[in-house]
Amino acid sequence: MRPETPAADKSGACLSAAEPANSKCVSLSSVRYEPNRIARLGLGAWPLMCRELWGARELAARLFLRNLKARYKQALLGFFWALLVPLLAVGTFVLLNRAGVLVIGPTDVPYPLFALAGLTVFQLFSTGLVSSCSALVEAGDMIARVNFPREVLVLAAIGQAVFELLVKTALIAAACVYYGFLPPAGALLVPFTLVPLILLTLGLGLFLSLANAVFRDTAQAVGVLLTFLMFLTPVLYPADGAREWLFRLNPLTALVEASRDLFIYGALRHPLDFGLASAGSLLVFLCAWRIFHLVSTKVPERI
Amino acid sequence: MSTVIRVNNAGKKFSKSLRQMMLYGARDIVAGSLGLGDAPERLRPGEFWAVDNVSFELRRGEALGIIGPNGSGKTTLLRMLNGIFMPDRGSIEITGKVGGLIHVGAGFHPMLTGRENIYVNGAILGMKKTEIDRRFQAIVDFADIGDFLDAPVRHYSSGMYVRLGFAVAVHSAPDILLVDEVLAVGDRDFSIKCYQKMKEIRTQGATVVLVSHNEYVIRERTERCLYLRNGRPQAFGPSEEMISRYIQDGLKDKAARRPASAGQLSAANGAAGASSGRRMEILDLGLCAADGRRVDGLDSGAGFLAELRFRVLERVESPFFSINFYNDAGLVYAANSAYEGVHFPALLPGEGTVRLRLPRLDLPTDTYYVSVIIGEGEACYPLDVRHFAWTFLVGRAPNARGLLKLPAEWQLEVSP
Repeated sequence: MRPETPAADKSGACLSAAEPANSKCVSLSSVRYEPNRIARLGLGAWPLMCRELWGARELAARLFLRNLKARYKQALLGFFWALLVPLLAVGTFVLLNRAGVLVIGPTDVPYPLFALAGLTVFQLFSTGLVSSCSALVEAGDMIARVNFPREVLVLAAIGQAVFELLVKTALIAAACVYYGFLPPAGALLVPFTLVPLILLTLGLGLFLSLANAVFRDTAQAVGVLLTFLMFLTPVLYPADGAREWLFRLNPLTALVEASRDLFIYGALRHPLDFGLASAGSLLVFLCAWRIFHLVSTKVPERI
Repeated sequence: MSTVIRVNNAGKKFSKSLRQMMLYGARDIVAGSLGLGDAPERLRPGEFWAVDNVSFELRRGEALGIIGPNGSGKTTLLRMLNGIFMPDRGSIEITGKVGGLIHVGAGFHPMLTGRENIYVNGAILGMKKTEIDRRFQAIVDFADIGDFLDAPVRHYSSGMYVRLGFAVAVHSAPDILLVDEVLAVGDRDFSIKCYQKMKEIRTQGATVVLVSHNEYVIRERTERCLYLRNGRPQAFGPSEEMISRYIQDGLKDKAARRPASAGQLSAANGAAGASSGRRMEILDLGLCAADGRRVDGLDSGAGFLAELRFRVLERVESPFFSINFYNDAGLVYAANSAYEGVHFPALLPGEGTVRLRLPRLDLPTDTYYVSVIIGEGEACYPLDVRHFAWTFLVGRAPNARGLLKLPAEWQLEVSP
């Protein structure tokens, strides 16, 4: 069924005299689609992944802005929603602590400040995971009909979580003023200790978004698991005590504590744990990205 | 001119059941992440080839139409060209930036205004912010939606939605434009504008692939066509030929389905005629060439003969006969003996045949559905009716376009 086309020129597209004058004369990129295209590239896929992601940075930013605007446009309380959950959670714990129902050990800063800091960092992880989990499914229509790097959807979802973290930072600042606590200079390094946590969130988010594209139960499961995970991580209480070794097994402990330690003490109290958790996070991210890139071509037909 | 699309034996498989789709999906994802490319050429239980064995090449500035019945794989193929679906076998090579109009307004958020959505949609179609800034006015002018530009998209009519989406897509400077039947939603002026714009980007060197059910669009906008059926290419060639092949295949399918239903119909009619005291009934209509040979189609302008057999059960005073030709747009030609002032004598019980002869069947190329009415009196009281019971194809040769085919005489005068 081959058409009777005369021998065609090789790609490259820029031809000299024969072209009409008004035709665009640029060298065009060629792409060849075939089964298992990405898998065949092997390690050569990494430059392609980086190129694609870099090329899509504007799209990621645009989608992030879109979600942000749309989210707060029709909401009466707007950005205040981002603050409501930590306020309620911390308020509950303060009450329980005062009433003696829950005994939380002494903290080096006023407890509400301690809890707010921990919760803010943890919620970067949890909201990031929840929103990236449904990122692919929510954009199903777009995925099925337009070709673009799917990673941007997860990136935009994580961007939302990072944005909420910034909003909550304002809340923490207000609390600092209220309790008269001046964070040490080391607190300025917190953005760096957040990077591994963001990478971990991205990695798991990429992975879970794929899983959710095939099994919609994933999103529900993630919601349930995250609730438990928060109580297994020293978010609202310090890790010190008899059961500390248990918390240490949880890589999130090191990641959450690192930022809070910087904020309170200006230094890391468990640098080794943090280093290990960071390396692990990087590894999770790289693996998940690779898998995502490899498999995301199969997503449009499954969504 | 260089080849910009080269499709080589491309195929894509799907599975029919959701459950299997999930299972296979999970397995593919696991296998894919372990780098074990399973054998995509093998069909697993429940899978089928939605598109298979498609090969063609397109060069810069060419336009290809894809036609075929519903479910023949047209849109799937378009998505494969766009790189959304990877082929499960064969390969597709694309040179240049692809602009997909498979779905206009991708990423439009209902809560955001048209203005904001132009940027979102543009970014999805691969435009940079500076590019969008530069073309913003052109996009707005083209979409022509007035004040609605600053209203949330959810207040848009479907036509306005398409206008805005199409405006962004055509201004994304694609080298290859894939269009999927979307222009049908816009109003008349806008769809004319769209086709003009498509023409314009073609003259700038862009290649167009167009999926449409509209024969006229395909005929006017594309030179060559790929005719798909059940995911398999039936033919590839000049659009005109492909369309008439498509139409003829459609007729054949109908003919293949007809005997049973037609038999039942006439039996039912017969029974009804006997029991309900019908006075006259249609037995059969033969559509023939001028020589009386039964045909299922004729060239435009050829001689035509219709033979209508009927049965009279009770005396009919002043009978009339009407044979009507419809196309998708409606009634095209109606032959009616009463309106044409032909008086037939009263009919007595028995069987008879009435013949309608047209020296020239000057109908434009199309598929026609034929209805027959027979009845009595000046007021044309119907005694038996058969709606769309026959199909007839006019124009195997591409000799009649447009809505009308009029007898024409040409004269040429040249002064030295």
